[in-house]
Amino acid sequence: MPGAVLAVALLTLGFAVAGPRLGRRLPPSVAVRSLVPALAALAGSGLFVLAVTALTWLGQFPLVAAVWPWSPTVLRAHDPIPAPGAGLALAVLLVLAVSGAAAAVRRGRALLAMRHAAAGLGTVVVIDSDRPQAYATAGPGGRVVVTTGLLDALDPEQRAALLAHERSHLAHHHVWLGLVADLAAAVNPLLVPTARTVRHALERWADEDAAQQTSRRTVAATIARVALLPTPAPGPRPAPIAGPADSGPGRSALGATGGEVPQRVRALLAPPPRPARAALAALAVLAVATIAATVIVERDGEDLFERAAHPAAVAAVVPPAQPPRPGPAAVPARYAA
Amino acid sequence: MRRVGTLQRRVLDILASAGVAMTAAQVRDALGGDLAYTTVMTVLARLAHSGVLIRQRVGRAYAYAAPTDDADLTARRMHRLLDVGDDRGAVLARFVSGLSAEDEKILADLLARIDGEQA
Repeated sequence: MPGAVLAVALLTLGFAVAGPRLGRRLPPSVAVRSLVPALAALAGSGLFVLAVTALTWLGQFPLVAAVWPWSPTVLRAHDPIPAPGAGLALAVLLVLAVSGAAAAVRRGRALLAMRHAAAGLGTVVVIDSDRPQAYATAGPGGRVVVTTGLLDALDPEQRAALLAHERSHLAHHHVWLGLVADLAAAVNPLLVPTARTVRHALERWADEDAAQQTSRRTVAATIARVALLPTPAPGPRPAPIAGPADSGPGRSALGATGGEVPQRVRALLAPPPRPARAALAALAVLAVATIAATVIVERDGEDLFERAAHPAAVAAVVPPAQPPRPGPAAVPARYAA
Repeated sequence: MRRVGTLQRRVLDILASAGVAMTAAQVRDALGGDLAYTTVMTVLARLAHSGVLIRQRVGRAYAYAAPTDDADLTARRMHRLLDVGDDRGAVLARFVSGLSAEDEKILADLLARIDGEQA
């Protein structure tokens, strides 16, 4: 088991490092469709392996062992993970579980708030406001919300590009895909950069869809123009679609090409993305290997706990109940010899 | 003079979103409680006098209410859709997310290039 646990850790780390690089090489729709399930699988594996590791240690405590029951002696004898390591796994597991739960609750509440706010309105909601704003909400019943302030700043072709972009978000359920990536990152911070790559790929996917309906140049110009619109009301800049650990404006490691918005424009001015089979294969190998290692951890864990739960092992620790033997006091005094 | 105008707008906002009649004391508390009671009362009286607010007697005091109709309510509700914070931002797909100052420069250059090529 220790080998498999280490393998899961290293493979997750490998994916965390390779994910963003490989994801950027893939066409956006392929990147999203491959990275999101991989993120979910990796996040789940991480939690599972932590739980099994922690349990091998927790199970050694008599109080816990008595519940199933298990033999703490057997667990201690085979002690696959040394106690400090397993204790650390438990601590990390609790922190990540809380982080994941908190993230899920916050987003669940925001989803309900949006649903409530947009109830009864049409699929495209135009709000009379100077503030430039345009977004798509999560389905079912997803809507496009856009302000007159934004529409007025664009020409008819650019307006078409904007709406086509937002409609692509609705059609392909992008908000939900982004939420899965977010939660995976909340539950495994190593996956934060990959989740950010997914967020960027979701926008690129919608951009490419909009480019099909108008032209790559039109969409590029629309993005740049919208980004450069002044916000009339004095207030904070719109908060970016940020990953869990990101609270500032969109930043990227590629300083020269700027943050994500300039990258979107540049990508549209470049030739359309082409399939990258090698990158896809590499991602698949990493994900499958991690799942395989997780399965080995599960198998080893099952073996260990089955042995510990074996009746003979348990009996050695907890003697079987014996019928009470009558003591001398049970014999009435007058019959005593 | 400009400050009075802003205060008027704040008072109207409060009454409009409350949807019920409020006394001067309640409005003052809603404003943050650091304004003089007489200031708030003056603003309310002026708005009622010019017909913007409806004034009704409640016990020994006056209560002020903003007139509402369906269109007004819908407009207010729709404007709430524009308040997008961090949490809401995570459950939306926004067309353009936050930019750094550097991004703005890069984008201006890119846009100039696109427009130039179009010409």
